[in-house]
Amino acid sequence: MEHEKDIQKAVERAKKVKLVAHDVHGVLTNNTFFCDVEGRRKYSFLHQDGFGHLSFKRLGIEVAFLDTTSIDNEGLYRAQELKLEKCYHKVRDKMAKLGELEREMEISPEDVCYVGCDITDINIMKRVGLAIAPADAIDEVKKVADYVTIAPGGRGSIRELCEFIFKAQGKWENWVEEVAKMGYK
Amino acid sequence: MTTQAAVEKAKKVKFVILDIHGVLTDLTLYYTDDGKKSEVYSLHDRLGCAALKEAGIEAAFLTSKITRIDQYIGSIYKIDRLYGTSAKITQLDEIQKEFGLTDEEFCYVGDEIIDTGIMKRVGFAVAPADAAAEAKAVADYVTKTPGGRGVVRELAEFILKAQGKWDAVVERLSKTGY
Repeated sequence: MEHEKDIQKAVERAKKVKLVAHDVHGVLTNNTFFCDVEGRRKYSFLHQDGFGHLSFKRLGIEVAFLDTTSIDNEGLYRAQELKLEKCYHKVRDKMAKLGELEREMEISPEDVCYVGCDITDINIMKRVGLAIAPADAIDEVKKVADYVTIAPGGRGSIRELCEFIFKAQGKWENWVEEVAKMGYK
Repeated sequence: MTTQAAVEKAKKVKFVILDIHGVLTDLTLYYTDDGKKSEVYSLHDRLGCAALKEAGIEAAFLTSKITRIDQYIGSIYKIDRLYGTSAKITQLDEIQKEFGLTDEEFCYVGDEIIDTGIMKRVGFAVAPADAAAEAKAVADYVTKTPGGRGVVRELAEFILKAQGKWDAVVERLSKTGY
C-alpha cells in the first residue's frame, strides 16, 4: 500500500538529526538467512550501506545498531568492520535502550532518526524526530514513518537515508566533492 | 472464499501445522562445490512462530523427511514438534489423538499436491502466494507473501487478529524480544 508522505516535513525533521539508530534485519539485510546442513548460517549485507554509515560518522552523526532478532553475531561483525562502536545486539527492549542512549548523548528524541521494519519498531518510530521505513517494511510501520525509502531492506536504505539527511542539512554537495577528490577512508 | 469466511475459520485455530519446503523456503536448494546444501529462510517467520507461541497456539513442522537443516530451523524458531512423513493425514490423526483436538481446530499451510488431502481435512487451510494451483484451489486463505518470505508471519497476524490477540502479543514481544 502506498502512504502519502509530507516530504517537506520529513526534510525539516531531518535537519535536527544527531543520531541514526536502526534495526539490523530487514534494514541492513532483506530479513533472510541461509542455513546449511551443518547449521552454519549466512546473512547478506550491502556494500553501499557502509558508505552511508561511514558518511554519518565522518560528518558528526552518531550511528547505533539496535537489534532484537539476531540469531548469530552478524550485526556485530558488520558494525566492527565499519568501526561503529554502538552496536546493541539481541536487545530485548529497544525503546529502553534508545532512551539510555539519548541520556548518555544528552540529546532529545527529536534529535533521533530511527529506521525500522516490523511491529516491534512501531512504538519507537512514533517517539523519535524522524522515522524511516524501507520500501518493504510491513504496512503498519510504513504508515507511521515520516519517509519511506525507495530501497527495500538490504538494498541501500541506509545509503539513501544518508543522502536524504545530508541534503536536508545542506552538507551533501561538499561531502560529495570531498569524497570524489579524497575518498572517505 | 471471502476474507470474512477465512476469519471465522481462523478464530477456531489452536494448532498450526507447517509444511517446510515452499512455505518456510522458496523451494530453492543451494549446493556448494563440495556437496553441502543450504536453504534460505526468513526471519519474519521466526517472529510469526514466536507470536503464535506467545498466543498459546501450538505449531509443528510436517514434511516428508526431516533433514538436519529442518532440525536447525526448528531449534531457531523454537518449534519442538517436527514430523517427517509423507502420509500427512495419518500424522494428523495421531496429533489429534495426542492433543484431543478436532479438524476445525487445525490450520495447515501447504504449497503442493501432496498437501491437498490434509488441507481438505483441516478447519483452516492456507497456501502461500506462489503455491501450486491445486493447493491454492483448496485453500481457505492464500497469503500475499510467497514461500520463504514470511508466510508464517502473515498467517500469525491473520489468526491472532481474528482471535483478538494480536495487539497484546505485539506489545509483549516489543518489550521482551523473541
